[in-house]
Amino acid sequence: MEQTNPVETSTVKKPRWRWGINRWWILLFSILTIIGTNIIAPVRPHIQVAPEAITEKPLVTLPWIGEIPFTNTLIATVLVDIIIILIAYSIYRWSKKGSLIPSGVAGAFETLLDLLYNLTESSAGRWAKKIFPWFATFIILVLFNNLIKLLPGFESIGILEQIDNGAPAQHLFGNVYTIKAGTAATGAGYTVKAFLRGASTDLNFTVALAIISVFMTQVIGVQAQGPRYFSKFFNTLTIFKKPIFGFMDFIVGLLELISECAKLLSFSFRLFGVMFSGVVLVAIVGSMLPVFFPSLIYMFELFMGVIQAFVFGMLTMVFMAQATQGHGSEEHAAS
Amino acid sequence: MTGDIVQAAKFIGAGLSMIGALGGGVGIGLSVMGALEGMARNPDSYSNLFTNMILGIAFSEAIAIYCLVIAFLMLFVL
Repeated sequence: MEQTNPVETSTVKKPRWRWGINRWWILLFSILTIIGTNIIAPVRPHIQVAPEAITEKPLVTLPWIGEIPFTNTLIATVLVDIIIILIAYSIYRWSKKGSLIPSGVAGAFETLLDLLYNLTESSAGRWAKKIFPWFATFIILVLFNNLIKLLPGFESIGILEQIDNGAPAQHLFGNVYTIKAGTAATGAGYTVKAFLRGASTDLNFTVALAIISVFMTQVIGVQAQGPRYFSKFFNTLTIFKKPIFGFMDFIVGLLELISECAKLLSFSFRLFGVMFSGVVLVAIVGSMLPVFFPSLIYMFELFMGVIQAFVFGMLTMVFMAQATQGHGSEEHAAS
Repeated sequence: MTGDIVQAAKFIGAGLSMIGALGGGVGIGLSVMGALEGMARNPDSYSNLFTNMILGIAFSEAIAIYCLVIAFLMLFVL
């Protein structure tokens, strides 16, 4: 095979030569993939939609809601919170120093927030000061939560738990075990209950953010328009003035109410769906083609994490900006 | 025996539920088409159209993602 090289170099063609180099890379990756899948076979993880509870005992037991377990997504959320607070503290320290030239993390965040503020101002106008904190908080929190789940160690280090159709466990040293590929006999199969799992892959996190977003949209709407804001939902302004179209307006208002609830659903399921499908994709591709292809999937996940964080914040901002503006004729009456 | 049939039905149901992703794909394609046509005719409106295009994509993508969530629920929860 290697004897083809002199012929290629004699007829000097640059693209063919480069393709020749890439060909060996592809061969190397293929061989490594075959070795990887046959000799050190990767374990196909047990996928679970609900986050795993680390401890048997629930964290707190509330009278009406019930038990709240201590889940691995909770640990990841606290980790993300600590990181964000440290960044905020470093920016605070920088701003106390009094130098006007931003540097390092502070410079990056100044650029980001400047960009976001301009975006808010262009679509919300004079309500930008009110809307911007929600927008930026959502974007930063969701962005860090989306990106931190790509770190190694997430969903892979944890406690062994016995399940049906699990993988056999292998003793390494001391108290440390690993699980191997394959299906163990009933009663001897294990799976890993990871210590850390990205918070965006937990439906509780996304539903909580969606509830906050939709509720604060109503609050900002009421602050901007007063009680007239609710005429968007129960539109009785024109019901007696126009014979048929007034009644139509009332029905359209009720539809607005339904779409407000659908916003809750779409906010939470969009973020959860994208992030959880990312986890499943990484797990399945990593167990089938373990050598080179997971890095491509990770790149895609990086992109999706950034896009989804942006979309979550952006939609919140757009809905809030819409809530501050009334329907056509009412707005003319107000201004 | 019944367990096998239930398992097969789960997989078939998950596959069927992903048919809904068709609509999401068509919607994303149409919205990007419209935005690109607008950008080509009026390049100044690029940034405005771009953010709105991303929002529209997110909306129509959400439909496909509902299907994906249903498929996941069938595969891993039921």
